[in-house]
Amino acid sequence: VSLTKAALAMLFLALLTHPQLAAACPVCFDPREANQSAFVSMTIFMSLLPLATFAGLVLWIRKRVRDAENATRPLE
Amino acid sequence: MSSASSLPEAGRIPRRQPPVPNAVLGTLVFVFTELMFFAGLISAHTIAESNDILGWPPIGQPRLPIEETAVNTMALLLSGALVVWAGQSHRRDPERGHRGTLALLGAGIALGAFFVFAQGLEWAALIREGLTLTSNTHGSFFYLIVGAHAFHAIAAIGVLAWALAALVRRRLTATALTSVQVFWLFVVGVWPILYWKVYL
Repeated sequence: VSLTKAALAMLFLALLTHPQLAAACPVCFDPREANQSAFVSMTIFMSLLPLATFAGLVLWIRKRVRDAENATRPLE
Repeated sequence: MSSASSLPEAGRIPRRQPPVPNAVLGTLVFVFTELMFFAGLISAHTIAESNDILGWPPIGQPRLPIEETAVNTMALLLSGALVVWAGQSHRRDPERGHRGTLALLGAGIALGAFFVFAQGLEWAALIREGLTLTSNTHGSFFYLIVGAHAFHAIAAIGVLAWALAALVRRRLTATALTSVQVFWLFVVGVWPILYWKVYL
């Protein structure tokens, strides 16, 4: 193993111990707490909103189907 | 040899009504996409606001008219309530409740139009005071978000006016009115969130 390759490997390993230097993700690292919390809260908001809306729509349609089935079911 | 006409009871099988009419379901799917559009704007606004080091709104820029817009918000919310009542009146008895439905829907449209008109006046005043689309990030987001909502409000008022015209001709179906209501209630329902995020 050449000295240059060994030096590069050491540099790479050293960088692994300081991930914040290479952080491209603003949710993971931002010097300002307000900005980081805005990123985190909006990530949660944008992730949950479609799921919650879709789940609500599915539950509402299921309720409508059940109501329609109950209305057409003959009395026992 | 058999033909369709010789089948027993052909064409007489009662079609089951869908639990959610197609028009209403289609409008709900459309509203879902619109909701995500506004969610994206709100998300971008929140991050830009937290990222801004010059203050939000920046010093020296005109303040947004919180009180006047609160009155507009009340008018819009009342419009939403009137449109809901119009739908209830129409579904209860389309013939006997015809006049009431007309009055409620007409008043709802008038209040919606008042909201858009008042927002237009507000924009004109803010532009005169120096807040434009290119003033700063705050101005860009204000006009983008409020403008997108105003565009939706104008489109929804147009659809409500179509429903009113159909109601006058006694050709408005309950499904069509429900679809129009869903769209208008989305426009009404999303506004308080935008007001809270942009103005307060």
